[in-house]
Amino acid sequence: MKLSNLFKGIRLPRPPAAAPPVDLPAPERVYLPLRQHRGAVAEAQVKPGDQVAIGQVVGASEEFESAAVQATVSGVVESIVQTVDPAGQKVPTVVIKNDGADTWVADTAEALADPAGAKASRPSRLLKRLRESGLVRAQVEGRPLHVDLSPPMAPQSYLYMTGIPVVRPVDTLIVNAVDPDPPVCPNLSCLTQVGEELAVGVAALARISGAKRVILALPAGGDASALAAMAGQHEWETASVSQTAYPFATDNLLVSALTGRQVPTPYGEPKDVGVVLMPLISALDVGRVLISGRPVIDRVFTVAGEVKNPQTFRVRLGTPIRDVIEAAGGGPSRPGKIIVGGPMMGLAIFDPATPVTRSTEGVLVQSAGNVVSYADHPCIHCGRCVAACPVNLIPSELGKLCEFRMYEEAAEMNLMNCIECGCCAYVCPAKRPMVHFLRHGKTEVLAGRME
Amino acid sequence: MNENLLTVSTSPHKLGGMSVRSMYLEYIIALAPALLVGLYYFGFPALITVLLTVASAAVSEFVASLIKKKPSNLSNLHVLCMGLMLGMILPPGAPWWLPIIGGALTVLLGMSIFGGLGAYPMNPVLVAWVALYISWPESMNAFLEPQALGTGDEWSEAETLLMQLKGDVSTFEMVELGALWLGNVAGFIGSTSAWALLVGGVYLLIRRIIPWQIPVGAVLGAIGMALLAAYTDPSILELGYEEFGANMNIVWFHLGAGGFMIAAFFLGPEPVTSPVTPWGTFLFGVGIGLMTIIVRTWGGLVDGAFYGVLLMNAVTPLLDRIRPKVIGKVVSGA
Repeated sequence: MKLSNLFKGIRLPRPPAAAPPVDLPAPERVYLPLRQHRGAVAEAQVKPGDQVAIGQVVGASEEFESAAVQATVSGVVESIVQTVDPAGQKVPTVVIKNDGADTWVADTAEALADPAGAKASRPSRLLKRLRESGLVRAQVEGRPLHVDLSPPMAPQSYLYMTGIPVVRPVDTLIVNAVDPDPPVCPNLSCLTQVGEELAVGVAALARISGAKRVILALPAGGDASALAAMAGQHEWETASVSQTAYPFATDNLLVSALTGRQVPTPYGEPKDVGVVLMPLISALDVGRVLISGRPVIDRVFTVAGEVKNPQTFRVRLGTPIRDVIEAAGGGPSRPGKIIVGGPMMGLAIFDPATPVTRSTEGVLVQSAGNVVSYADHPCIHCGRCVAACPVNLIPSELGKLCEFRMYEEAAEMNLMNCIECGCCAYVCPAKRPMVHFLRHGKTEVLAGRME
Repeated sequence: MNENLLTVSTSPHKLGGMSVRSMYLEYIIALAPALLVGLYYFGFPALITVLLTVASAAVSEFVASLIKKKPSNLSNLHVLCMGLMLGMILPPGAPWWLPIIGGALTVLLGMSIFGGLGAYPMNPVLVAWVALYISWPESMNAFLEPQALGTGDEWSEAETLLMQLKGDVSTFEMVELGALWLGNVAGFIGSTSAWALLVGGVYLLIRRIIPWQIPVGAVLGAIGMALLAAYTDPSILELGYEEFGANMNIVWFHLGAGGFMIAAFFLGPEPVTSPVTPWGTFLFGVGIGLMTIIVRTWGGLVDGAFYGVLLMNAVTPLLDRIRPKVIGKVVSGA
């Protein structure tokens, strides 16, 4: 960790030791939203009453920024309903009643046994496989993997939009085994479970992106011996990253810490500075897809917070979050919040029946008594948010400007460069809803520019 | 309707637990050592002065909240902390009405007319202190000779070291630095003991209540300016110090004497009126250090620490414009 980071951000408690994921039996019904990613909604390929097998495509789209959705149980399509995803958007959802037979659709793609195979394959072919499998980066608002790995469709307009001078060719792949927002730690629980699929996954990701250098970001204090051994075997570099220094394990800041390159904000991404960053669980999924030739139908999903046994499960996609919480021993008697993602950047959902999707990595459950409340206290100008802000903004000032609807003035003070990590709200003694102010200001600025 | 409806809100869903109340509670805890040393040396008169200041500030806040028809801010300890700080920079021999007026001025003139906590431009404690000093200079100079608790001697009037310094530059040589830093000298109730203030200040630094840049900047500024004065001012040069050590004694004297420590660790870093940016806070501290020594060496007033804080308070909006470079911002054309 960089020395200057010692004074920035906040310190979170160390996540508890994570056990390997426990398999959760398939539920009675699965709910498969046709958009499990950031991008376009897939179109339903099935009708109510259709018989489907596991792996059968139920949603697909011609759009590039879209991921295919496959059935994760075999059974009958009951209905296609509208549900609300964690971000609050309505999305059509295919409901499949499980017949318990677990029959797979006939395999189409041939298996690819070892890293050498991945290295020999053409990148476009590997990319096509990922696109067909509908993999999505395992992260709140994650994008389809094939989008994450492809260069921008229209480089000129992309450069104009982001304002960056030039897109660098990708030369580095970072596999992030650190969970940025503990105690939701799916990566941590997979640390000891790595094997051939990681080797294949990383080889394929490096092949697709063109990265020559592979860096494994390992959690400091975690049991990373298995990963370190693999790194030695495959000539990957390793780096130790603190699990408690938030938000330095989030994408942009991790790239900056490991490579010294600054990811341009607000529209840029690690790819623009020549780095592809992949969570460990996504890299594992890539490996599984390529080895088995089948789509991934489950998800490593952490249930943390106020449940009886906080733990990590391997859950069928489409399982209602309520069922997973029940499997973890049940939530508090008076539930307060269910948060998809971690405590600092997660999205609170209002419906516990929201399904597990490819872009959810876990939930944090809070009881009604422990839900934090914000206040309408004025800013006391103490400067704690400025000291904490990892990207050197002056949140106190931005918060005041956004509160009083001076959005353009706030934009001039780099409001749009905010990464919404929540450190300012975390440290604020006046308990001002800083992230709310800044997010609201950002949307207003964007709306103003649209006009 | 389902009674177990879930709450939905923006992230973060977890807060650090620091509140305005706990912040000012830490302040009061950090002020305690210096206050106790002050009460040890100045006894009953000092206790009465401090209590009257705090009580007056609290009553004023209550009255102000009634007038403004807003809930009173007493529960967050801010007003009590301000009253306590004013009490600590009043002279122990002050007449009974002085702390009462001071407490009221702190709240009414310093805070309430600007809109209360978070809105005032200058440190209310020092606004009140300066108002008192201008209005009743004699009462504000009613210093007492320190005596250990329980000796029961008559209180005798005294002059502070800084007042002696104005008449005689060689005061440095006559003072025992140990006694000065311990607080066994005449001075304001809670600001005589540099050690006790340092302990409280370091506590605040460890708890990250105040930014480290302000005290560090103030100490550096004071050391630099004191050495500059020692090597350039004709009247100090006349004393004929050649060794660096002797000049450093001047520095130790300045750091320990008067209101410098309380200004550097408590009055300066008062959150509302100090800057927030890293370099802004540092320069703010340096300014306090410089002003302290400039006024003491060349100025017409006795101690510059409090005026230094007030002056830098006025510059705070300017210092807040020294912003660090935003990480990730695209510099077009680069």
